[in-house]
Amino acid sequence: MSIDYEQKIPNNVDLAGDKTLQRALEHWQPEFLNWWGDMGPEGSGAFDVYLRTAISVDPGGWANFGHVKMPDYRWGIFLNPAIPDRKISFGAHKGEPVWQEVPGEYRSNLRRIIVTQGDTEPASVEQQRHLGLTCPSLYDLRNLFQVNVEEGRHLWAMVYLLHRYFGRDGREEAEALLERRSGDADNPRILGAFNERTPDWLSFFMFTYFTDRDGKFQLAALAESAFDPLARTTKFMHTEEAHHMFVGESGVARIIQRTCEVMAQNKVDDPARVRSLGVIDLPTMQRYVNFHSSVTLDLFGSDVSSNAATFYTTGLKGRFEEARITDDHVLLDQSYPVFEPVAGALVTREAPALNALNERLRDDFVKDSVAGIARWNRIIQKAGIDFQLAVPHKAFHRQIGPLAGLKVSPEGRVLSEAQWSGHVGQWLPTTEDRAFVGSLMGRVVEPGKFVNWIAPPAAGINKQPVNFEYVRFN
Amino acid sequence: MAHAAVSLQPQSGQWVTFDTHPEQYRHWKLSFDGVVATLQMNVDEEGGLRPGYKLKLNSYDLGVDIELYDALQRLRFEHPEVRTVVLTSSKERIFCSGANIFMLGLSSHAWKVNFCKFTNETRNGIEDSSRHSGLKFLAACNGTTAGGGYELALACDEILLVDDRSAAVSLPEVPLLGVLPGTGGLTRLTDKRKVRRDHADIFCTVSEGVRAPRAKEWRLIDDHAKPQQFAALVQRRALELAEMSDRPHDGQGVGLTLLARTIDEHGYHYSHVDVRIDRKARTATLTVQAPKAEQPLDLAGILALGAEWWPLAMARELDDAILMLRTNDLEIGTWILKTRGELGRVLAVDATLVSHRGNWFVRETVAMLRRTLARLDVTSRSLFALIDKTSCFAGTLLELALAADRSYMLAAPESSDAPRIAVSAMNFESYESAARLSRLGSRFYGESKPIEGIRAAIGRALAAEEALTLGLVTATPDSLDWDDEVRLAIEERTSLSPDALTGLEASLRFGGPETLETRIFGRLSAWQNWIFIRPNAVGEAGALKVFGTGSKARFNWERI
Amino acid sequence: MSVSIDPQRPRDELGTAAAPVAAASAADRGIARQHLIDPEICIRCNTCEATCPIGAVTHDDRNYVVKFDVCNACNACISPCPTGAIDNWRQVLRPKAYSLEEQLGWDQLPRQEELDIGAGTDLPTEVVAATVLAIAGQGGVAPPPWSAQKPRVNLYSLKNPVIAVVTGNYRLTADDAVTDIRHIVLDFGASAMPVLEGQTIGIVPPGVDDRGRPHYVRLYSVASPRDGERPGYNNLSLTVKRVTEDHENRPARGVCSNYLCDLKTGDEVQVVGPYGTSFLMPNHSGAALLMICTGTGSAPMRAMTERRRRRTHLKENGELMLFFGARSPSELPYFGPLTHLPKEFIDNNLAFSRVPGKSKEYVQDLIRARAADVARLLRNDESYIYICGLKGMEQGVDAAFREVCARHEMSWDSVLPRLRETGRYHVETY
Repeated sequence: MSIDYEQKIPNNVDLAGDKTLQRALEHWQPEFLNWWGDMGPEGSGAFDVYLRTAISVDPGGWANFGHVKMPDYRWGIFLNPAIPDRKISFGAHKGEPVWQEVPGEYRSNLRRIIVTQGDTEPASVEQQRHLGLTCPSLYDLRNLFQVNVEEGRHLWAMVYLLHRYFGRDGREEAEALLERRSGDADNPRILGAFNERTPDWLSFFMFTYFTDRDGKFQLAALAESAFDPLARTTKFMHTEEAHHMFVGESGVARIIQRTCEVMAQNKVDDPARVRSLGVIDLPTMQRYVNFHSSVTLDLFGSDVSSNAATFYTTGLKGRFEEARITDDHVLLDQSYPVFEPVAGALVTREAPALNALNERLRDDFVKDSVAGIARWNRIIQKAGIDFQLAVPHKAFHRQIGPLAGLKVSPEGRVLSEAQWSGHVGQWLPTTEDRAFVGSLMGRVVEPGKFVNWIAPPAAGINKQPVNFEYVRFN
Repeated sequence: MAHAAVSLQPQSGQWVTFDTHPEQYRHWKLSFDGVVATLQMNVDEEGGLRPGYKLKLNSYDLGVDIELYDALQRLRFEHPEVRTVVLTSSKERIFCSGANIFMLGLSSHAWKVNFCKFTNETRNGIEDSSRHSGLKFLAACNGTTAGGGYELALACDEILLVDDRSAAVSLPEVPLLGVLPGTGGLTRLTDKRKVRRDHADIFCTVSEGVRAPRAKEWRLIDDHAKPQQFAALVQRRALELAEMSDRPHDGQGVGLTLLARTIDEHGYHYSHVDVRIDRKARTATLTVQAPKAEQPLDLAGILALGAEWWPLAMARELDDAILMLRTNDLEIGTWILKTRGELGRVLAVDATLVSHRGNWFVRETVAMLRRTLARLDVTSRSLFALIDKTSCFAGTLLELALAADRSYMLAAPESSDAPRIAVSAMNFESYESAARLSRLGSRFYGESKPIEGIRAAIGRALAAEEALTLGLVTATPDSLDWDDEVRLAIEERTSLSPDALTGLEASLRFGGPETLETRIFGRLSAWQNWIFIRPNAVGEAGALKVFGTGSKARFNWERI
Repeated sequence: MSVSIDPQRPRDELGTAAAPVAAASAADRGIARQHLIDPEICIRCNTCEATCPIGAVTHDDRNYVVKFDVCNACNACISPCPTGAIDNWRQVLRPKAYSLEEQLGWDQLPRQEELDIGAGTDLPTEVVAATVLAIAGQGGVAPPPWSAQKPRVNLYSLKNPVIAVVTGNYRLTADDAVTDIRHIVLDFGASAMPVLEGQTIGIVPPGVDDRGRPHYVRLYSVASPRDGERPGYNNLSLTVKRVTEDHENRPARGVCSNYLCDLKTGDEVQVVGPYGTSFLMPNHSGAALLMICTGTGSAPMRAMTERRRRRTHLKENGELMLFFGARSPSELPYFGPLTHLPKEFIDNNLAFSRVPGKSKEYVQDLIRARAADVARLLRNDESYIYICGLKGMEQGVDAAFREVCARHEMSWDSVLPRLRETGRYHVETY
């Protein structure tokens, strides 16, 4: 099978002139489409979806809107334009020119980083494949599909790196990315959070708010990489990741807004009564926040990590906003505070800064997610309701690192097993919560109509009206 | 020691070479008497390769051993009539006291190990010649035979010790120096001479060694004689050994001409072998050329060419290249093996090697190839064979790829000049490695199915796909992948710990049954390397360090 | 449309106006269009900061903000923004631009403040005079449509013009056409130039006239809608005819039109204005527009049509009917784009007076031919009528309306005043 490269696969990596890449993609692209058919959004193949397609990386080129069938989406390969004479900005190679090829010495670590990042992309598509059946509106359905195709494109971006720079190993890894399955006990996705189910739209919005934000920070750290193609690829992915966070943040905000409207109209605040009015009560929202926040915090890896130190020192992965940090960018003699459970209490200890880089990125993430929650709180506040959402303590409900398994309340108090099990139902979504949220899910696909538990958005996509026919079912 | 060690490292532009000639010997005297040749050690105290030590008491350094190696080569090629070589000393009451301890004390660890490796190879070569070429060796230990001196004797077919009430054989490394014998002494005591292990235990811990009667009782020597009878004993046994030899009576020797080699900043250049060094990448590319012209098919033609006959000329150059790189270029950790030329010519040469294998010169040439390839096996460098276009890894040259840790073969099915490899009969028996197996045999751990599959392919030019199926090559990237795949593999390799790689490669190269040789080299790279860098040997108060100063070694008594 | 005034008229500010002191003073004291990010919508995705080619965007833990002194309004960040938070602008007095500290402290964007610049109070006399002349045809002062956006006027005076940069200059008429009519795009960079469809701006040609005095200002109708020639850009377009003869067809070289028609991309132009508080389009849905124009009088019609076209998805309804006269198709500005618009969007009626082999046809002829539909619009209280072009068309159009009314049992004499008084009849002719 031959591919008309420029037409079918928009790119700025000279695909037409790169035989190695063409050969790799000739094999991979049909497999990707098979995967999309099997594991992509359920039953969506014939829909015309109003999607944004990137056809180049300049401001005018990367956001082209139009109705397309998702299997015909033009998944492209884009790197941010190269910065001439870019120098490595951190680690042992600081000041040296960035690498245009993979140094053999770092081949396996780089491959591992890329494969781990790449694996999350198809995983989330798999996690979300049934959501279309219960979409709260045509607008939201379109946003889901946009997220899905862009996760697909991010997979392409990582596969490009594997194909272009890692030879046969890379091709095999690229195939394995299509072979693992989210939640499959025998063949799971690499990271835990990507094997969790995304059973309902509240989970979806929470996932795109928290977990895609993890993506933002991972991509930002990789955008500092000394391996220039990785840096440039992730920089561009970062641009697209923004939409996913928008979907999450605005989705949750609209749910909150609708809940607040209903509470205010009916002058109720008892959660049970709020639920009886067909909207999601705020304490349930808080429990979902707690769950998704803590699961996402685990994605940053162990608090003290030798891998993180190695990746930094060898120039593979930097810190969030490396350029804005004023220190020596080598970190040999510096320390960073991490939590440690000591005799039933959380204490802070100074860990070597190099080893604490996961923790540092996690802290940057927490800071960022707090800002969004403040915006949600303003909606509640404006409605005159006395309730505040909050992100749980960093040690709450952790499964990875030294805090794993420790029983800590959302406020950061260390608890006994009994205290924990007495309260966990107030802190994490219960079976009943999930059943309730599940019971609200229903399919609304009439243009401009929205299911009861979510408010319409302030504006449509690409300046289209809210009642625009974002998806045509044919 | 650190400072002194510098002086023994080759300086830039100062290469240690292995070129010499009997007329230039400073430490040995070679004489002939019919079928018996006598090689007398007479080390010039002032003749050390590097300044800083005196070669007292027939102790040796690399320079002494280079002459020994040269002498052996000349005995093999220039003197086919010689059947027994008597190794002895022309110094009174001293046969050989082994490697010079002061030299060792001044040397860097790398130099010591490299020196040990070469001396080991020379001694293994003595046994190889005895086993395969009918050249027998008799150690006539006319006096003190200590350490490396005794190890040299151990390499011979027979050891005769003068019984003058003072001469003893000894391995005093443990009690005197806090290290181990480095030239196969312990292995040969047990595996070759079958010395009972409690006797060996005593023998190895008494610095003064064991004198004649008990030495024979314990199998440390074969026989002994009073000084007056010693020469006669030696003569008798030499002739008896000669009886066991099949070396020719009428052979016309082949002179070993001086190798035509140029050295420049890029590497070493010979007529059939080229070494190109990339110091930044820490790699050397060794390229071996197939015969540039048709080689003679008949013995007369072969003998007429003599040292210019391609298999011998190539083997000598390759041997020299390996020694030069090992001695002078310690940081060049990865060798890339390549070949260039016509596959058919290499196979044609192999056919002559097979058809004339009964001839002494052809036999010596194959032996030279065998020993040279065996040097690769024990070389502490990563070996990657690149089988690319215009290469000719066939038969004898295929052994280079089989000796390598990995081989990459370009798959270019679409291309008419895709590289091919070929196996010949030579790959199945002639070139046994240190494991005493052919490289194919040890590659497949003696399993017959894959080996027979390959035997069925003898003489055919095999493209990458078939070579991979037969298990002859490691990986077959195609032309799109080749450059990146190969570059990455090499870069990755050169980034790994050189020590760990040395251990890894040695472990993997010598899979399967142990032999004397694998044990010697295995122990050298494990035990000896370890002991040689421990403070108990080379620390400020280490035994090796304080030897000869009168101070007593101070040990850390913790057993590890 | 262009209006020039009699050079004999008093010239208040002109004497001091056109000297190129304007650039610096505009930069120091003028009004700027400040780029801001809406903190209520922004999701802190960092895309804008990553996209900005000149590092004008920055952030703290709370807000993403734009550096006023760095941002050059290149718009590279606009389309990548997933939320639209990036696309916010406020007109500010330069010294009072919002500082980074202020922006970082916001929970929401401040409202647009009324700028105390005395806008609209001291129009240049020549502008007033020209305007009086231009609107004479409507028979008196007319209020703007009730739903028209409140216009901003006179942000830049002759003493304090704004500098625009030419980003495009294209010939609209065919190469073999007699007239050279051009579409000129001006970009205002970081300076505010809020204009509505139907408004005019003033151009001050550089240099002095043959008597050594600075040239007087010329007014041109803006041909682009309020959100820019290119949506979201701080630019506008003009439709300019190169003047090569005077009204009596005697050879004459129009100073300003030739200056404009000869501009190259990148050239700087001194602009004053905007002006016009009446010839504005209604903002409410369902309003019908009846537009009658000739030549460069098409500029405001294009602006209004384009405004409507960009909002078609809003389905605001309200029909568009256009009568447009020119010598021939090749001399009709925007002929191509116009004919490509769907019939259901706009009812085009093009009249050509110089097509060989065909009888002369003027806009008034077509108005008569479409009498039934025109009458229907005249009866409709949601109809708004705009006439722009050469003075010569006024009489013919007036007569045609009169005739249409008569044929449909209406009296033009009573229809016209009502139209005018309710802000539904606007004329600008020259």
